[in-house]
Amino acid sequence: MSVRIAGSTIHVEGNGLVEDAEPILVALQADPKRIVDLSRAAKLHSATIRLLLALRPRIVGAPSDPFQAEHVAPLLISNGDGPVPFG
Amino acid sequence: MDELLEQFLVEGRELVAAAHEALAVLTGDPANADAVDRAFRAFHTLKGSVTLFDLKPAEHILHAGEDLLDRARKGAAGLSSGDIARLIAILDQIDRWIDALEREGEIEAGAAGIAERLLIGAPRAQAITPADDEQQASTPAEPWLAALLERRAAVVAQGEDALVAFRYAPDRDAFFRGEDPLALVGGVPGLIALDILPPDGHWPAADAIEPFECGMVIEGVSAATPDALRQSFRLVPDQVRFHSLAARAQPAKGDDSGLPLAASVLRVDARRVDALADDVGELIVAANAFAPLGDRAEALDAGFALDIRAAQAGLERAVGRLSRSVSAVRLISLAPTLARLPRMVREIADGLGKPVDFAVSGEQVEVDKQIADGLFEPLLHLVRNAIDHGIEDAATRARSGKPANGQLALAVARDGDDILMSLSDDGAGIDRARVRDVAVARGLIEREAADALSDAGTLALIFAPGFSTAAAVTGVSGRGVGMDAVQAAVERLRGGVEIESVPGHGTRFQLRLPANAITTRLLVVEVARDRYGVPFDQISETVRVGADRLIPLGTGTACVLRDRTVPVLSLAGLLGMADDGGFPAKLLVTRAGGEPVALRVDGFHERLDAMVRPPSGLLAGLPMVRGTTVTGDGAVLLVLNISELVA
Repeated sequence: MSVRIAGSTIHVEGNGLVEDAEPILVALQADPKRIVDLSRAAKLHSATIRLLLALRPRIVGAPSDPFQAEHVAPLLISNGDGPVPFG
Repeated sequence: MDELLEQFLVEGRELVAAAHEALAVLTGDPANADAVDRAFRAFHTLKGSVTLFDLKPAEHILHAGEDLLDRARKGAAGLSSGDIARLIAILDQIDRWIDALEREGEIEAGAAGIAERLLIGAPRAQAITPADDEQQASTPAEPWLAALLERRAAVVAQGEDALVAFRYAPDRDAFFRGEDPLALVGGVPGLIALDILPPDGHWPAADAIEPFECGMVIEGVSAATPDALRQSFRLVPDQVRFHSLAARAQPAKGDDSGLPLAASVLRVDARRVDALADDVGELIVAANAFAPLGDRAEALDAGFALDIRAAQAGLERAVGRLSRSVSAVRLISLAPTLARLPRMVREIADGLGKPVDFAVSGEQVEVDKQIADGLFEPLLHLVRNAIDHGIEDAATRARSGKPANGQLALAVARDGDDILMSLSDDGAGIDRARVRDVAVARGLIEREAADALSDAGTLALIFAPGFSTAAAVTGVSGRGVGMDAVQAAVERLRGGVEIESVPGHGTRFQLRLPANAITTRLLVVEVARDRYGVPFDQISETVRVGADRLIPLGTGTACVLRDRTVPVLSLAGLLGMADDGGFPAKLLVTRAGGEPVALRVDGFHERLDAMVRPPSGLLAGLPMVRGTTVTGDGAVLLVLNISELVA
């Protein structure tokens, strides 16, 4: 996968690896308002997904992997009324 | 018997077996969360069911066991081997009390004391009060499950089928090991809901998050079977927990829905199935009536005979299918029966001070209920015998370089229409010379005859009534019930026992039993103008021999068959009648005490599959009569027990 930062957008493309998490984190730490564009992503790594869930940036598009499109993408975009963590 | 109690006897034993199974897993893998869960549920349900009866002591020890498992489940403390031993002891005691309930309708007076002893040293169990119990019943067993069901109530409520909820908490260092937990979850079949949650309630802030730490919990609901789910998570079993949800479960009742997914299983009173089997047997007999009809029609009208035969063939096919279906209904797994053996082995081994490792395999084999019911006693007797007489004391084992624990194994396997059960021990084996000496000393056999016996014949002596090789009668075996009881019980089930024994290395008893027991294959023989049925399983072969092959031997007659001299007896003579003495002589070869014996009959007739009814009335007192059956032409046929006749 490649992570490409273009201005206010973080483009995440292709199949993901654990290493992708770090550049995404750095980019979002620098500017939390950046948009993460997943429209050309195939399948994200768990580390990336965890990061997106924790930081909740605005998301555009969804990974093409059927499982992630159906079950993971809704969790990433359901800002605010997402799953209520148990605790 | 009270219906509730009857149900408890069945279900209680199933729960004991389920808990034992989970504990067996935990013995090898004490951290297995799924096994802890299963054991907990079995203890919990058992505790709930004993409250229906007056079984306070049982309730107490189950509560203690449940407590222990609950701590392990909540991760407060893992199960030590001592904990597992205690849980096994609790289950054994419950099993004993279930037996007592069945026998006497109550548990013994000293039960409270037994419970006290079992509880000494147990982590302090909270006192049971009704209020406590109620609270426990209404609190879902697992907090995560309650939260998941609440979040996902909509999908769960929509599910037509049984569902499984899972919670997968990957290790924090999973990423470093190259794992991608969500990719694993992507392979879960039938996924209908998924949540990804922070493990401790909230996600770390942007400036505190460690990107390569796998801090996440994945929960979901799947419509796949529990087995399919376990298969998906097979590489991380210690990080996943499952919970089965019955179809259209009330979401909040997490605990009830934890029962096995068995909504389509119907429990039917065994007597109804027996009655159905009886009727099928009668139907088979009625269908058999067509064969002679066809023969009679043949003489009148060939075309008519052909039609009858076609109708007969169709009827036989349908009856055959029905009979197989009914047989299948009666088939039950041996597991519940055999689940009681390990406890018995522990008790016997403790009583004799001989440590024994006992392994059971193939217990899932299914057999007719009648067989499952009837084989426990003989099997237990063989087990006792193996531990008492087969396995040596510690000193002798040490001298022979054997492991300190005696090895006892029971293997069950299906072999065509039969099941084979082999019980092997690694003990001293059977000393043939001693067996012969004892048999002679007890007057069971003459010295000369004893010395002439084949190896199999010698070993078969231990089944002779009145035989016991134990020099000292111990408290375990030899209470006046010898191995002859084993053979008699196995023969009642239409089975047989074989022994293999290597001195110094051990003994193997092999029981061969029919897996299905509704109809018996019979050969109809003619004796003194009467007809009798002889079960096929007692016939080794049938031969016709000329006058020249019958040799006078002493006061009797013999015949050489396959290079062996086989005594020939007249079946008519044994029944107090005279045979016709015609030639060629028709011989039916059977075995008596491991040796072949030929019975002379006047004629062989048809073979038939018949429902043999146990003898009743006057016949019940005659051991040589196995039962009666009705033939196609409506006549009653006596079915002979020829092994009893020649014994």
